[in-house]
Amino acid sequence: MIAVEGVVKRFGTQTVLDGVSLTVAPGEVVTILGSSGSGKSTLIRCINGLERLDGGRITVDGLDVANPRQLAQARRLSATVFQLFNLYPHMTVLRNVTLAPEVVLKRPEPEVAAEARALLASVGLADKADAYPAQLSGGQRQRVGICRALAMNPRYLLLDEVTSALDPEMTAEVLAILGRLASQGTTMLFVTHEVEFARRISTRIVFLDQGRLIVDLPTADFFDPARGLAHPRINQFLSKMTPVGERP
Amino acid sequence: MRHTGFTVHDGLLLAQGLGVSLGLFAGTFALGLVLGSAAAVVRHFRVPALGAALHAGLELLRNSPVLVQLFLVFFGIPALIHQPLTPVVAAGVTLSANTAAFVYFIAVAGLDAVGRDQVEAARVYGFSRAQLVRHILAPQAAAFALGPLVGLAVNQLQVTSLVSVIGVMDLTKAGDILNLRTLRPFAVWTMVGALYFAAAKGLTLLGHHWERRLRAHAPPLGF
Repeated sequence: MIAVEGVVKRFGTQTVLDGVSLTVAPGEVVTILGSSGSGKSTLIRCINGLERLDGGRITVDGLDVANPRQLAQARRLSATVFQLFNLYPHMTVLRNVTLAPEVVLKRPEPEVAAEARALLASVGLADKADAYPAQLSGGQRQRVGICRALAMNPRYLLLDEVTSALDPEMTAEVLAILGRLASQGTTMLFVTHEVEFARRISTRIVFLDQGRLIVDLPTADFFDPARGLAHPRINQFLSKMTPVGERP
Repeated sequence: MRHTGFTVHDGLLLAQGLGVSLGLFAGTFALGLVLGSAAAVVRHFRVPALGAALHAGLELLRNSPVLVQLFLVFFGIPALIHQPLTPVVAAGVTLSANTAAFVYFIAVAGLDAVGRDQVEAARVYGFSRAQLVRHILAPQAAAFALGPLVGLAVNQLQVTSLVSVIGVMDLTKAGDILNLRTLRPFAVWTMVGALYFAAAKGLTLLGHHWERRLRAHAPPLGF
């Protein structure tokens, strides 16, 4: 389980996360909604240890991410997919996927490569294994990013606005894969603006507003006019989104 | 009677001098490359005191004349430790350290040019610092640095000619000896210059060859 307890994060005088608490249990798909600057991405970056906490505690299966040795262990349990893909540009697609399993998990090369090829095939990129990231479209790059994460066999998949840099068609490509992963029971913490998609795949939805987690509800309750939608801030946020039913 | 004509032995003398120059260059450049790159990695990870100390020291080396550094090592250090240094040792120490200083600044720029986003990706995937350097930083920094390093190599090859002043039998010293005997400075220094030119040109061509290979290995070098 990922447990976030009263996390505070400041950049200078600005408080980006203000006492956020949240849990993600195995099998759950938890979506974090909130406007830009609400602290969603920072929360992901705190969980994977890219930001130091100014208060509170985060544990991944009991491993405290503030402790360097435990963080190293925790990082093997979760894998992150980034908004801007963050692929290694000097390596082929296949190498991007196999590098961490080989180098970090010390798994044998032939086995890792075979798995990576199967993963790439499952996202429709079998013929791109030997291409370089710069030769791919954004949607293809993000699919490689997802394969790179899955190649680590993570218990938790952290998705940080993975479709925000993509056009609608490419977004659909990537969401289709995430939908499949969700239906297979992959545990995910999903930061997104794709509300309708989140509604379909999430077990729970949390809403961040100015660094505070103001709502944490099961998906059905979140969209219930008497529950989540009763919250003026959430109502306001969702009313600015594309109307229900128009997105894939 | 004074013999002023050129003989076969003069060719041998020049060849031997060229060998010394090239050997000195290759050895000190390789050592400088290792030391300078290591210092750049230390600085990149902001190792507390060591990073700042290395930066200060290498900046001193970069911003003072090699000839002065050479005199300091050859005359200054023996006076301090009461132990003479041979010219070759003094030349080797000076040129290695001087090369390291220039490599350091090129390598720092190369490391800084590698995108932060990939470094973050590698960190969350659990790479140690050593693994990060080996698989992500070094290959890309090397690609960025190769052009400037070839330029530096050509320059450091010419700089080796300074060691003739403290008595190393390099190509320039061989030219000096030949000049004093034949009294034909124009012919002698043209030959010496041509040999340096040929060596430098060869180095440039080798550098371009590597650059092309690097580009072939990673076609869209748009990172």
